[in-house]
Amino acid sequence: MFGLFNKSKQSEEVVPEWYAELQESQERWFSFLEKLEAKMEEFATAAIPELKQLLEEDDDLYKRTFHKVYSGVNGQLNNIREKARDTYEEKIISVYYHYNSKISVLSKHHNLVSDFRNNCSDRHNAFENKYDYWRKQIDKTKERDLEIEYQKILSEFETIKDKFKCTQCGGNLTIDKIFLIETYVSCPFCQTQNTFTPSTIGRNLQNIARELAEQRTAHLKEEFENEVDKERDLYHEHHTLSLSTIHESNKSVLNEIQIKMEDLEKQRQFAIQNAPKLRQIYLRAMYDEWNKITPDLKEHNEKMYLNQLKY
Amino acid sequence: MEEKKVNSFLNRLKENAQKQSNYGGETENTDAQMKLKDCPNCGAGRAKQDGVTHCAYCGFEFLSVKLTDGMYIKKEDNSL
Repeated sequence: MFGLFNKSKQSEEVVPEWYAELQESQERWFSFLEKLEAKMEEFATAAIPELKQLLEEDDDLYKRTFHKVYSGVNGQLNNIREKARDTYEEKIISVYYHYNSKISVLSKHHNLVSDFRNNCSDRHNAFENKYDYWRKQIDKTKERDLEIEYQKILSEFETIKDKFKCTQCGGNLTIDKIFLIETYVSCPFCQTQNTFTPSTIGRNLQNIARELAEQRTAHLKEEFENEVDKERDLYHEHHTLSLSTIHESNKSVLNEIQIKMEDLEKQRQFAIQNAPKLRQIYLRAMYDEWNKITPDLKEHNEKMYLNQLKY
Repeated sequence: MEEKKVNSFLNRLKENAQKQSNYGGETENTDAQMKLKDCPNCGAGRAKQDGVTHCAYCGFEFLSVKLTDGMYIKKEDNSL
């Protein structure tokens, strides 16, 4: 009836004409991304040492010149990424939709169309991974050893601690801690209220305190993040094992796999329970460090800590 | 050729960043200082026990707010 099932076999086996166009698109797409990747790599490898040098040389308090160049570099990298994304939409996805609507899903050749899209999208993902990699490398140029800056602040404090004399009576004044804002220091002899203005370096302590505390407790954060990753790894291992049971009929092997799976699940459940605990340990340690660096901000920091625990 | 392009782009980026003025102006590095404010009205000094909001002698108003308890300044620093 209607000859629906009498299609000649020959027409199914011959590669259709339009396939050449798909192949060409795919090849062009692959070589285009290769070029973009090379461009990205070249740009990033040139930019990274420049950025590092700039961070060292930038004498602005907030390293603003560095940050301007840093955003410029990121912008350029992003342009390359967007170019890839736009081309993907324009040259791959639209071609795919065009043929997808023309060729029936029942056709033997339909898989050529979906393979085309899968190959191209896998290649695009590989490109995106490379982008992420370079982006992270560029992010790393921002890291600097804050301990050095902290030591500078501490030694500056040591030198000014006993330096001042009361402006009224000349009696010695002692600054008893690192102040972050202007404050009254009363003279122990004549009770006059002197106004102490901290130096720019001293004030900057509050800007670096959190990052310094994070640097000091980075190992705890890593422990927590590893526990989170472990849960996913165990899940995938469990899943692979469960798939392996599908075609297995040997009972003793099945039993063995079952035992292994149960063990993995136990470890996974432990990781799920343990991760929030490790997070709390990290946060507590980080805030303790922070409070040690700037004790005056403790009350405020503790509120933030309690807030952060909720999420 | 390509390498030259990248380098000239980076150099231009750096040049522009250095040329651009910062929002909020340049930062200034100042040293720690100790100052004293006498009453501009009668020249009297300000002692701890007299509070910091008004001059103890002529009543000149240094601060028009009522102080509350804070980290360094306490309620007791209000002049009577």
